[in-house]
Amino acid sequence: MTRERPKIDENRSRRGPALRLGRFGAVWIAVLGLFILSGLISPAMFQLSQVLNILQVAAFLGVLATGQTLALLVGGIDLSQAGMVTLVNILSTSIMLGADSRTPMAILACLALAALVGLLNGIIITLLKVTPLIATLAMNSILFGAALVYTGGAPHGDAAPGFQWIGAGNLFGLPVSMIVWLAIALAVAWVLRKTVYGRWLYATGANATAARLMGVPVVPIVISAYVASSVLAALGGLLFTAYIGAPSLGIGNSFLLTSVAAVVVGGTVLTGGVGSVIATIGGTIFITELNSFTNVIQITTGTQMVLQGSIIALSVLLYRLIANSPRAQRAGSG
Amino acid sequence: MEKTAGYSIVSRRRLLALGAAGAAMLATPGWMAAWADTIADAEKTPSGPVVKQAKKAGPYRIGFSNGFSGNSWRAMCIRALQLEAKSQSDVADLIIVDGQNDVTKQVNDIESLASQQVDAILCIANSGTAVVPALRSATADGIVTVPFNLPIEGEDYSAYCGTDPSRKGKSSGSWLKDALGGKGKIVALGGIAGNSYTAAGWKGAQEAFAGSQIEVLAFKDTDWSEDKAKVVMSDLIAAYPEIDGIWADGGQVTAGASKALLAAGRPLVPVTGDDYNGLLKLYDSEKGKQPKFDIGLISEPTWEGVLALRMALSLLRGEEIHKQLIITPKLITKDNYKTYMRPDLPDGVFTDTNLSDEELKKIFS
Repeated sequence: MTRERPKIDENRSRRGPALRLGRFGAVWIAVLGLFILSGLISPAMFQLSQVLNILQVAAFLGVLATGQTLALLVGGIDLSQAGMVTLVNILSTSIMLGADSRTPMAILACLALAALVGLLNGIIITLLKVTPLIATLAMNSILFGAALVYTGGAPHGDAAPGFQWIGAGNLFGLPVSMIVWLAIALAVAWVLRKTVYGRWLYATGANATAARLMGVPVVPIVISAYVASSVLAALGGLLFTAYIGAPSLGIGNSFLLTSVAAVVVGGTVLTGGVGSVIATIGGTIFITELNSFTNVIQITTGTQMVLQGSIIALSVLLYRLIANSPRAQRAGSG
Repeated sequence: MEKTAGYSIVSRRRLLALGAAGAAMLATPGWMAAWADTIADAEKTPSGPVVKQAKKAGPYRIGFSNGFSGNSWRAMCIRALQLEAKSQSDVADLIIVDGQNDVTKQVNDIESLASQQVDAILCIANSGTAVVPALRSATADGIVTVPFNLPIEGEDYSAYCGTDPSRKGKSSGSWLKDALGGKGKIVALGGIAGNSYTAAGWKGAQEAFAGSQIEVLAFKDTDWSEDKAKVVMSDLIAAYPEIDGIWADGGQVTAGASKALLAAGRPLVPVTGDDYNGLLKLYDSEKGKQPKFDIGLISEPTWEGVLALRMALSLLRGEEIHKQLIITPKLITKDNYKTYMRPDLPDGVFTDTNLSDEELKKIFS
């Protein structure tokens, strides 16, 4: 898809905005549609405070999903993000012990650990040629196991008050976590759209062999995507820890599949080369909105899970239909 | 023990009287006399037929099939059990195997303990039905089997000990009803979706609400975790402008939910839960500022394994015991919470414990 990049932008500008949103615009229609539907059923969803609440909570998933987009873009997947969130939660609170002075050290330790884990993931996948699904799922189990071994099942420690502000506080009436998330996502989107590195990522995911022939350093690119995914998972985990304020061994569990779902609902394909970090923002809001809506209306956890699963499967089907239409063959990325 | 079914708000004197009556009842069987050292506050009600088996010569090898070990409750449970095993002179060995939250692995664990010919198998089941055949066959082979904490289908074991979640739910429900003066809107937050423990407790609570003007706005599963509870509660806060109380069977849940109320600038309300230190600390620090904040908590004692081990040893020594032992922990309220709270220990501590502060510091480090 990358090879057509200049043409894409041209096409996009010539097309009308509403009906021709294409692959990465569809999610915003879904976000808006769900917002209206949920608000009609439960007016509480229209309240500004609830909209901000959803955006605040979406931030944690959003940072993870930004990283997951990179892993999917190079044709991989990173299922170790959930374990990374748990381990980062345990590690950061145990280093901080509620003291602001120890926050920088805690954050640095978590990011260094995440970079190392991402590097390992990348090496296992590229050089040792283990399927990404298996390699990262195994890593997920290792990370969760490490959290258990580290704590012996009994976590201790606390998030520092200043640190908690990042996850739970407000700035100019907006949740700080949301601002952090959007800043990260927009920065990554800029890198993907405007830098050579970004193009190499797309090229590698679209066709690794062709990319290699064109002189793209495929192996370092794939490894870098896993490092980025892991580091962003750690940032998301730190943000969530700042929101909760306490260590919790099950904290990452809910992200195992939602981090992939948010990206896929955004329109990024599982086979690599086609995807958008901006659309992932939409996917993240959609998943969080759906979760929040199903919390607000009176349905059981079982129904909630069926509903969420169906909608994710349905969105993948819809994207396939859009992708197969001639107009969308030229759909862009970024 | 029916008289204690509804804790409601009873005077200290009445509680003492009940305690005395309970003690008188418990004083009879000799095999229980040694138990005075564990948390004496909880009532322990023997039930079911009196069982006994041929005395076996010690020292004994004991196996413990733990369903999983991923939280502080289990960590404390294991430590209490290890210390108890060490203090019993006729226990030679305590072998602990971890089912890793996998039903099939736990069945294999029990079978392998049986094939190692341990003298007794203790167990916290991942599934109350799946382990039944393995326990049955171990029992038939002459091994003393004592599942505890989580209930088991049928009675194909030597003995059982645990709380009665339905009665706990009824007690916490009736406390909440009284705390709200019989009238108000509440939300209920459960554990992991589909678990039978919360189901029984919630059923008990609803029985306690019957006939009152308690309106249940919503029931949501929150995995007994502070993080999930905070996220779910922040949605419920948006949906319901008035929430007067929170029913839950775990203290992490009401701690997380209360923090969501604080974050939204809403007043704290009466909550139920258990002996989670984080909730007791939160109550202690907020009660002065929050006139409506109140607690009615019932623990799930981490020392249940100690009792299970003692029951197993009684059977091995040829003593008579009742087949089931139902534990009714004491209600923790604003009047007595300070005797449970451990201000200098982490939130994750379950404070109804026989472990010393020193031991707890070792576990939580």
